[in-house]
Amino acid sequence: MRTHFAEVLARESACLAGVTDGAKLAGWRRRVVEELMTPLSPYVLAMRQAGDVPDRADFLDRWRDLIAETVDRLLQSGTTGDTHFSSDQSHRADVDAQKTAVLILAALHGGSTLSQISQDPWPLNAALDLALAPFAATEDNCPIGSMNP
Amino acid sequence: MTTADSHNGRRLTARGAKTRARIVAAATDLMYVQGVGATTLDEVLAASGVSKSQLYHHFDGKDALVRAVIDHVGERVIEREREALGRVSTIRGLRRWRDALVQNNAVRHGAYGCALGSLASEVSDQDALARQALSQLFTEWQGLLAAVLRRLQDGGALPPEASIDQLATGLMAALQGGYMLAQTARDVTPMATSIDMALAYIESLSER
Repeated sequence: MRTHFAEVLARESACLAGVTDGAKLAGWRRRVVEELMTPLSPYVLAMRQAGDVPDRADFLDRWRDLIAETVDRLLQSGTTGDTHFSSDQSHRADVDAQKTAVLILAALHGGSTLSQISQDPWPLNAALDLALAPFAATEDNCPIGSMNP
Repeated sequence: MTTADSHNGRRLTARGAKTRARIVAAATDLMYVQGVGATTLDEVLAASGVSKSQLYHHFDGKDALVRAVIDHVGERVIEREREALGRVSTIRGLRRWRDALVQNNAVRHGAYGCALGSLASEVSDQDALARQALSQLFTEWQGLLAAVLRRLQDGGALPPEASIDQLATGLMAALQGGYMLAQTARDVTPMATSIDMALAYIESLSER
């Protein structure tokens, strides 16, 4: 298990470091969805609720920190580029990088479980649409609040 | 009283049904605490106090038993959620639903997670029938959440263009992912944070 954790962290560390705007965040998201929908990929194996708990806890803490750094960077640079939030400046200031990272990690975790049992990437994408809404990194750049693509 | 046996379609006597229920209850507890993969049929026999021949009379093997556990857990969870969500039509009501789930999970420091979600994360790639049963149960549970969001929408708390199914699925994923993070951290905080963030987003849609 340790090797899957290390591999995912190495890839995430490299990919998330390059995320500097909404478009690159959407690219990261597409890649992670692809990994999580590939049977027995390191991502799928790392997400399993199996193996040593302290090792898994450490893995999730590190991944969450990488995501939080990225969220923080996007917030600092004002990259929300989002129609919802621009209408109300106070919302953007309210976005908390650590808490947003927890939601993103939960969306990856819970969304991939729902996608695996339904064998359909739709639930994982719906989960990420909600979690990434402050950055408008939704699939097809379609805001979740709107039914029309 | 007789009831249909899913294994062979025969009618069960009251005694047979009782034995079957005892096996399923023991297997449910063991699989919840130590996981499906780590639970052996010998452990189920020991915990339920039934004989090997009785167990094989009701179940072909472990896969069949796991499916019965899924049905059993699913029925319990859906009943609980129908009770909790059936009349909710406000964000405040959703927050009370969230409080109850978080509080129940905090009692055990989040160690065991969601009974249904744990099954989903373990059996999804092993048994197609189990996977389909879980998929149906989650669809039903999400349907209850979607009905709440639709009532919010009807009451004007969500804009008419909000995609209810997408939001319900996103909320369910935040809940399930939260359970999983709490389980690993042995701390219910990430579960609370995850649901709170999802609910805050849903609430923010009404202010736009």
